[in-house]
Amino acid sequence: MADPLAAMAAALSIAGTGIATAWAQKVVGGATVGAMAEKPELFGRGLVLMALPETIVVFGLVLGLQLLSKVAGP
Amino acid sequence: MLSPERMARALIVGPREKLESVIGTLHDMKLIHLVDHEGEDDTFGIGKPLPPAAELSDSLLKLRSIANILAVKAPPKEIEAVRLDQLRERILSLELGITDEDAARKKAESLLGDLDRRIEELEPFAALGLPLSAYRGYETVAVVVGRVAREISEVDLGDIPAEIFQASGIVAVFTTKDSLDRLLHVLGQFGFAQIDIPAGEADPKELLDAALADREKWRTRLEEFRGRLETLREKYAAFVVAAEELLEVEVDKAEAPLRFAVSDHTFVIDGWVPEKRFHAIAFPLEAEGMYVESEHSQAEHEEPDPPVLLRNPKPAKPFEFLIHLYSTPSYRELDPTLFLFIAAPFFFGFMVGDVGYGALFMALGAFAIAKLKPTSIWFRLFFVTAVGGLWSVLLGLLVFGEAFGLPFHPAPGHLEELSWERFGIFVPMQAVIHKAFGIGDMIYLSILFAAFHLGFGYVFGFVNEMRHNKKYALAKLGWLACLFGLFTLLTFSLAIRPSPNRIALWVWDTPLGWFPRAIQSELSAFVGLKIPLASLILIFGAFLGLTESIIAPIEIASLLANVMSYARLAGIGIGKAAIAAAFNAAILEGFVLSGQIVLIIVGIVFLVLAQVLVFFLGWISAGIQALRLNYVEAFLKFYKGNGTPFRPFGARGTQEV
Repeated sequence: MADPLAAMAAALSIAGTGIATAWAQKVVGGATVGAMAEKPELFGRGLVLMALPETIVVFGLVLGLQLLSKVAGP
Repeated sequence: MLSPERMARALIVGPREKLESVIGTLHDMKLIHLVDHEGEDDTFGIGKPLPPAAELSDSLLKLRSIANILAVKAPPKEIEAVRLDQLRERILSLELGITDEDAARKKAESLLGDLDRRIEELEPFAALGLPLSAYRGYETVAVVVGRVAREISEVDLGDIPAEIFQASGIVAVFTTKDSLDRLLHVLGQFGFAQIDIPAGEADPKELLDAALADREKWRTRLEEFRGRLETLREKYAAFVVAAEELLEVEVDKAEAPLRFAVSDHTFVIDGWVPEKRFHAIAFPLEAEGMYVESEHSQAEHEEPDPPVLLRNPKPAKPFEFLIHLYSTPSYRELDPTLFLFIAAPFFFGFMVGDVGYGALFMALGAFAIAKLKPTSIWFRLFFVTAVGGLWSVLLGLLVFGEAFGLPFHPAPGHLEELSWERFGIFVPMQAVIHKAFGIGDMIYLSILFAAFHLGFGYVFGFVNEMRHNKKYALAKLGWLACLFGLFTLLTFSLAIRPSPNRIALWVWDTPLGWFPRAIQSELSAFVGLKIPLASLILIFGAFLGLTESIIAPIEIASLLANVMSYARLAGIGIGKAAIAAAFNAAILEGFVLSGQIVLIIVGIVFLVLAQVLVFFLGWISAGIQALRLNYVEAFLKFYKGNGTPFRPFGARGTQEV
């Protein structure tokens, strides 16, 4: 272990962004299902909006991998 | 291929007495997308429905109510031929028979409801055992009856004069009218809920028995009615479905004049026809003596856009539904189906990246081609995943070297890992990237794909805007330059590290060999890194976006975010492989390779379950993410949509998702 703090930071970045994504998807998903009950043709738009917040956790993933490469680094 | 079918405007003019036959011809051809006539003037108004329309709609209404009563849902196996001239009579007689049965059934149901209520009302009084006449007709005595949580005795009531009758959970208390209020107050403490005393004088037990007998009798009757309706359904389901179909067509035809312009002696039908098929519609009509005028749609027209009929090569056709799911393209922009057809399955294949799962996806596709109708949604879904499966097999074989989450050979330096070699299967393919150990490679490949994908998005956007607004087209070029700058910068920064990424290094040296090398400028000294100045200049190509909107250059960050967003390709690829590897390692080493028969059998069951789980997880997550990268990251760069799908007059039941 080169840097335990970096490992902790990687874990935090994944956990934090994961929670953020989940929370955002909860909000968007609820609203989307509500909107689809009124207009089923909104499914496509809903799917897009639903998938949008996943970017947050992808950033967390990239950050985590960068930090981990520090941990396992030379 | 990249643009939708060209449409020609068709105006059909003819004498009014020919209207019916023209409608019939057009309906059979299924070629014209009608444009509704709007507004009235002195000569032309909206047409009136053909004479049989009222009767036909009435028949259709009756038939639908019959179908509703009979609860006809799925189309029956055998199809019955129906004739229009006998239809009305048959529907009327069927309605007569069925409405009687239905009325009887409804009456029985409502009677049963009443009886249920009556029984519920009488039950407590039957338990108490007093005749109903005992509860009323007093001058100074008051009676309350109700449910209580527990038994009460006269002691509980203190000094209130009362007589109590109780049965399980029910209490009747007789008291003087003066002390009624006090009594209710005390009873309230025992959770007392008062109930009404039913009308009548007789013994409630007898009344209850009579009601129960009645209920039994009506239940048998109701079963009889339901049975009869069931027989009717079996007998007439085929007729109802066939007749409904026929009537819908006829009503459609009869009501068509509502969409035309009609004067005292002539009619005008306005609509869009695929340009190539224009003669197919003009010849037969002209033979009938109609006047058919065509007007080719020009690029810059004031009138509303023509409807959109996508035309794509056969393998890409099933992907069209994914485009309509997002939004139908407008007539004047490129059809992104081919873009999606290439990118989405490739991303899917990259994320799954496994010969075994890929082969299963392809098997699903083969099943769909053999067994399902090309119009069904499942056919399209399976076909789309099968194309992704093909990529997955190719990439799994040539790049990742693994099947069912198990690599062909252990990664160099990790010889203790499980692989197909352990089972005596030696695949003569070496993995180029071991998913578990090539995270850097996977991430760089994601960036590379992002550059291509978004780059083509901007090229599409440029072509779309060129037809529309040159300034906006320039902005798209600026963004393309900006994207390229970001890409070279990312490639460079990964290639000059102390331990450079091998793919980034190769891309930087070989395909990008002509690109200006790092320049040590004041700015790069400030950042503390050598930076290719050319990249920076390119990134500021985004300022061409100013021609589009004043805040455009701020979007550089969001373009970078878009590029990084493709890291999900690597993330899901590795994540899915890791789940499969974890299951494989635990189950294979714990059970299957243990050498004990029982454990081996249990292990194989577990293994199958685990693989099915990974298969579906991969399908859902890779499928949604592959679509999302197209819908969100790429389509927003060029695609507007909001077109009207081409719905020819006479085409039926092809519902989009």
